Amino acid sequence: MTLLKLENIKKSFNLGPLQVNVLRGVSFEVKTGEMLAIMGTSGSGKSTLMNIIGFLDQPDSGRYLLENRETARLSDSELSAIRNKKIGFVFQQFNLLGRLTALENVCIPLVYRGIPEKEQKSMSMEILEKVGMADRAGHKPMELSGGQQQRVAIARALVGSPSILLADEPTGALDTRVGQEIMNLFLELNSTRQITTLIITHDPRIAAQCPGTILMQDGYIADREESQ
Amino acid sequence: MIIKANLREAARSLISSRQRSILALLGIVIGIASVIALVSIGTLAQQESMRQFKEMGTDILSIQTANDRGEDKSKGFKLQKILKIPENLSSISIVAPYASSYGELRKDGKRINIPAMGVTESFFQMNRLAMTEGRFISDLDGITPHACLSSNLAARLKAQGIETNPGSELYYNNRKITVIGTIEPVAIGPMRPYEIQEGILLPITALLHMSPQSIISTFMARLSPGFTTALGTEEIKTCFSDLTESMKLRIISPEEMIAQMERQFQMFTLLLGAIGSISLIVGGVGVMNVMLVSVTERKREIGIRRALGARKKDIQWQFLIESVLLSLVGGFVGSFIGVATSWGIARFSGWQFEIVHGALILGVGVSVAIGIFFGYYPARQAAALNPIQALRTD
Ligand SMILES: Nc1ncnc2c1ncn2[C@@H]1O[C@H](COP(=O)(O)OP(=O)(O)O)[C@@H](O)[C@H]1O
Ligand SMILES: [Mg+2]
Repeated sequence: MTLLKLENIKKSFNLGPLQVNVLRGVSFEVKTGEMLAIMGTSGSGKSTLMNIIGFLDQPDSGRYLLENRETARLSDSELSAIRNKKIGFVFQQFNLLGRLTALENVCIPLVYRGIPEKEQKSMSMEILEKVGMADRAGHKPMELSGGQQQRVAIARALVGSPSILLADEPTGALDTRVGQEIMNLFLELNSTRQITTLIITHDPRIAAQCPGTILMQDGYIADREESQ
Repeated sequence: MIIKANLREAARSLISSRQRSILALLGIVIGIASVIALVSIGTLAQQESMRQFKEMGTDILSIQTANDRGEDKSKGFKLQKILKIPENLSSISIVAPYASSYGELRKDGKRINIPAMGVTESFFQMNRLAMTEGRFISDLDGITPHACLSSNLAARLKAQGIETNPGSELYYNNRKITVIGTIEPVAIGPMRPYEIQEGILLPITALLHMSPQSIISTFMARLSPGFTTALGTEEIKTCFSDLTESMKLRIISPEEMIAQMERQFQMFTLLLGAIGSISLIVGGVGVMNVMLVSVTERKREIGIRRALGARKKDIQWQFLIESVLLSLVGGFVGSFIGVATSWGIARFSGWQFEIVHGALILGVGVSVAIGIFFGYYPARQAAALNPIQALRTD
């Protein structure tokens, strides 16, 4: 089943007087349960594409269908609701809130859903258990290693049962061994729970483990490979 | 649920930037404290005067002499003329003239300066006084220096180890006086002279004898039943019309007193209100500043929250709640200081103290309003941030 479909997506930024055409017409489809690596040189527009897929940004032109529904011209509340329910973000810098404990960080998406606190906690604990961080639930991010922080961040992305997990260089700030552990977690989540996953990475070894790869170049998709 | 989470969040964020928050709160604390003090003191003062009128009744007049010209020193009222007023005027039932002086009270080498007042026996009933011990001054005392102590003075003397029970002897302006009693504390107001609370009372003839420069500048008069203030005032005016060449009469009625108090209270309100408002504006700008800095410092957090599904509205609420909480803290501290100040002033003025609840509600309400008003702009700024831009900041 087609989960999302992009058609001729264009996006440019104004850098002073200069207009940078970051995406010049990107089209591709992602099916439910797919796991794709997105590769490409720095500045090729990978993050911009991911922001558009994740509804943090809007394209200048082109169509974006999520679960067969047109997504143009949605209000801020509607976009926020989609991010909250359908999208799970994982960032290179983990982006946990330093004042909150691991458990409270995982609760955030549920807070914005208006779920009662008790339920938030039990759902979050369950997911922390899945990523192997239940014993650190009460710790602040500062007290956790990079790999542990990224596990908490993944738990936070997953807690709301999103349709798609978007990870922008999730292993970029981790050493190879810890990065591989995180990659294993993504692989396991994808195979056991059929979570659709897009992973931006520079690391060919990470990309090689994904069933599919998209290569970005100069604002276009230069290549798409499916290994099966 | 979101409100609760926001409140907890706001508290944490404020605690983590403690120093900055405290500085910003100074204005709010001063502002709220002066507003609370203003309303409390005003209310307490009014209650106190009302208590005085309740104790004394509103059927009294206070008649004072006032000099027309500075050089022409008033000779005051003639005692005999005043004492005949109840007989001569049908509207007046009792009179109580008094003369004031100021002097040194001495005993065992200890000296204190106190006010003294010469009174007649009728003064007791006129002011509805009561004795803690001993008796009040009698018209039979004549020029014998028998003294009644006010409650505060008796307490001061006791604290210095000086005997105050009837029969004790003291020196007032180097003359020996004998204590015959102590007056119970009473509510002081515009009608009752403050000497009742702070000084000594002597027979009027004794005082005039002891300090020849003292004059009878005032007498109090109680209306006969069924007569109005206006009627009494009229009769007194005619009674003194032929006799007062260089003297002007000032007749003060309770109605006039209350009106005058209200005018004074309005002045007071304006003054403290101005101080309060300026401090509150300064405090509000401080809150706005703290919130703007907080928004700038937490751009990344805002981006993260937006990515996780926070609507603009949620972000706006988060920062608005934070600024309201911040100014509420200032409001609580300010309320506490304001109540403490009004307590101090009430004590100093010898008023009964109570917490004025209306003032507290006002203080809390005003601080919430300030938090909303001055927090609105920063919260709007936070909500309007582009999520991607916010996420990219570090
Ligand atoms: N918000 C923005 N404003 C201006 N330029 C931007 C913005 N976001 C991205 N860019 C520019 O767009 C280009 C692509 O950026 P990005 O999508 O982050 O690339 P990648 O993730 O592939 O490294 C870069 O040249 C970057 O400077
Ligand atoms: Mg990037």
